[in-house]
Amino acid sequence: MTPEIFMLCVLAALLELDTTYAFQLTFSRGIIAAPLISLVTGDILAGIQVGVFTELIFADVNPLGGILPPSAVICAAVSLALHAMGLELYFAFFFGVVGAILFAVAEKLMRKNRFKWLVFWETQILKTPNAVVRAVFMALATSFLMNFILLFGFIWLCAKGMFWLLPHIPMQAHFACRFAYMAVPWIGLATLIPAFRLKAR
Amino acid sequence: MHFSIRLQIFLRSFLLQTGWNYMKYQNLGLTFVMLPFLRHTYQNDKEAMPSVLQRYLEIFNTQPVMASFCFGALAKQEEAIAKAESLTRFKEKVTEWESIKKSLSITTASIGDRLFWGALKPLTLLIALFIWLMLGINFFEINSSVKIPLAYVFCAGGIAFFIFNAISLFVKWQGIKISYDASEKTCFGLTRFDWNKTIYNAKRIGLVFAVGMILFGIYHYLKDFTALDVHFVTRAVIVLFFVMISFVTRKLRIPNMYLYLAAVGVFNIVCYL
Repeated sequence: MTPEIFMLCVLAALLELDTTYAFQLTFSRGIIAAPLISLVTGDILAGIQVGVFTELIFADVNPLGGILPPSAVICAAVSLALHAMGLELYFAFFFGVVGAILFAVAEKLMRKNRFKWLVFWETQILKTPNAVVRAVFMALATSFLMNFILLFGFIWLCAKGMFWLLPHIPMQAHFACRFAYMAVPWIGLATLIPAFRLKAR
Repeated sequence: MHFSIRLQIFLRSFLLQTGWNYMKYQNLGLTFVMLPFLRHTYQNDKEAMPSVLQRYLEIFNTQPVMASFCFGALAKQEEAIAKAESLTRFKEKVTEWESIKKSLSITTASIGDRLFWGALKPLTLLIALFIWLMLGINFFEINSSVKIPLAYVFCAGGIAFFIFNAISLFVKWQGIKISYDASEKTCFGLTRFDWNKTIYNAKRIGLVFAVGMILFGIYHYLKDFTALDVHFVTRAVIVLFFVMISFVTRKLRIPNMYLYLAAVGVFNIVCYL
């Protein structure tokens, strides 16, 4: 784990806040976040490809109501970090997708548990209305910290595990992951057509 | 509404979803956004604040961009509550406020989800992809030896970012004013825009772009075609298979990511056989 990866995790944790908690100016989109993250790792082309593939693979899951889509930032950050550490992009992307799905599960648990301190903050706000500002910034800070810890931990685990496993992985697995990676843009593009289907005016 | 209050609501609305929870959703965010307005409205009646805040801390959930219509409408109704001359009138206005909050949040969420997440986001993605292809950046297969200027890299994402935010920030800023000035008859200003037509047009453009992108991808694979070898056939079969299966999984509501993970598993089995 180099300072470069540490910086990448800090940047990704900040960008991830844009997904739900702050701004929502689409900095957390794959096509924006991945090239930004790739500035840290230095492989800009990999950043573009991972960004496009990430957007396409998650294009059919939207944050409607309480639905929590997998994070494009986490997927891009994990893929690019592992790739920067020497793992092939098609392997790294697989871990990126798995990481994004696991992160969504962790995020759901966090949201479910948040009501415990929500009761405390509500009491505080009713006493002094300004407490809402503290509550919002505390929520923002804890979200950033959780994003960073989860991301850094996952990248560290994957890196340790993969570099131990890599010499034992047969050639067939490389081919399989490469073929599946090649199919990603097609899977994404094919689902965009029904997504744009014209129902009624 | 004073410009400074509108500006504060607008700026604070960027943190509407901070503190999102499964119990009361965006309640903390709504209270945070409306606080400057409530302070201004109840500056001579500070004792009323706890009961007012109690109402804002109840369940609230909508699409974050379209939420601006709720802020304006709720602010207008809150002024009517503050000016109520009798207890009966006050109770009536509070009941109205609650029904506005509930109904408007559902309506705006429905419009916002379809427009911003369902149409504008995938449309701007396709625009970005076309820009990258026009700039010679082939994201289907990357070639590390090619040097690409940084401006090219961020140009496509930047344009997608600009288009999405130009529309969303306009709606956010105007929504506060329109809904504050409008009446219940015009659904708090929502009828001022033809949302269905906008969504319809965005989807129509998106469909053209999506088909164009698939055709470009097919051209990309066919342009280097020399002979019908095993490599070419394998790739063509994989592409065709996934395009077909994506339509099926979409109907079955299976997300793309699971299709990709299944593909990794299936290809591993096939390669071992």
